[in-house]
Amino acid sequence: MLKHFCDWLADTSLSLLLSGTEWFVPAIQTIHILTLSVVVSVLAMLGFHLLRPARTSPPLNSSVTTYVPWVWVCLVILFVTGALLTITEPARELLNTAFRLKMLLVGVLIAMTAVLWSTVRRNGNYWTQNARRRLLGKAFAISLFVVCIGIVAAGRLIAYV
Amino acid sequence: MTGLQIAQAIESTPLAVEIARSSWLFPLLETLHVLAIALVVGSIALLDIRLLGLGGMRRTVAEMMRSVLPWVWSAFVMAAICGALLFSSKATAYYVNLPFRFKFACLILAAANMLAFHYSGDVARWESRPPPVRARTAAAISLVLWISIVAAGRWIGFTT
Repeated sequence: MLKHFCDWLADTSLSLLLSGTEWFVPAIQTIHILTLSVVVSVLAMLGFHLLRPARTSPPLNSSVTTYVPWVWVCLVILFVTGALLTITEPARELLNTAFRLKMLLVGVLIAMTAVLWSTVRRNGNYWTQNARRRLLGKAFAISLFVVCIGIVAAGRLIAYV
Repeated sequence: MTGLQIAQAIESTPLAVEIARSSWLFPLLETLHVLAIALVVGSIALLDIRLLGLGGMRRTVAEMMRSVLPWVWSAFVMAAICGALLFSSKATAYYVNLPFRFKFACLILAAANMLAFHYSGDVARWESRPPPVRARTAAAISLVLWISIVAAGRWIGFTT
């Protein structure tokens, strides 16, 4: 059924137009990579805060409040550029195991970012108020790094799978 | 010895041959390269956006530099190592590739811009609102160069 959907999508006039435009895919991929770079860097910076809360300035809640909205905006841009790339080459994306893994990890990343946002907004000291929370914060940070690395790796592997 | 002969010599080294031959080594190096570039470009973009006065104004430039620069330099070294290994596996093809040459030229300019900014000693003055023209110019040049590097890097994949 998904294959039929991919075949149908590839036959649409929009898909044919985009796939027939030589510069389109590299241009959209460039925007996609640049936007992903901002997301990865922001989350890496916030993860670093969680790993070393006593040694980073400004405090975590200030950084979360400043930068998580940027992540939300970037995720919208990533969704749009990703959708355009999928419309251009439906089978390459939708039938690809690496792409599906990437989408799963993106879902996890969105959930983790939402958890970070909501916990810090409710209680600015949520991740630092006791030893147990600080340990939880370190585990959260490492998990966030793994998810970000996984998304980048899966994105690259789409071309090879 | 011409540049092309040097590229051929690099491509003939045992490590380069192994990277080109292996089914997993090139994709692994490429993934690490993309990850490192993502950290470099994203971190620099955050700093540049702050210097341009477009966002992140609650943090001082000095705070941002402390947060961002360790990532940037470490990731830059990782990207350079992975990039050199990737280059070695197809040295002759990359040597004659225009997008690759453009990317490399932009990298040199971006590194020079980064070093000039790092050693400018003007950080205290760059906290003013709006940031001074020199800071905004350096940030704009940096953003344009890094966007060009990513774009050229993508084009390499379509032209080799």
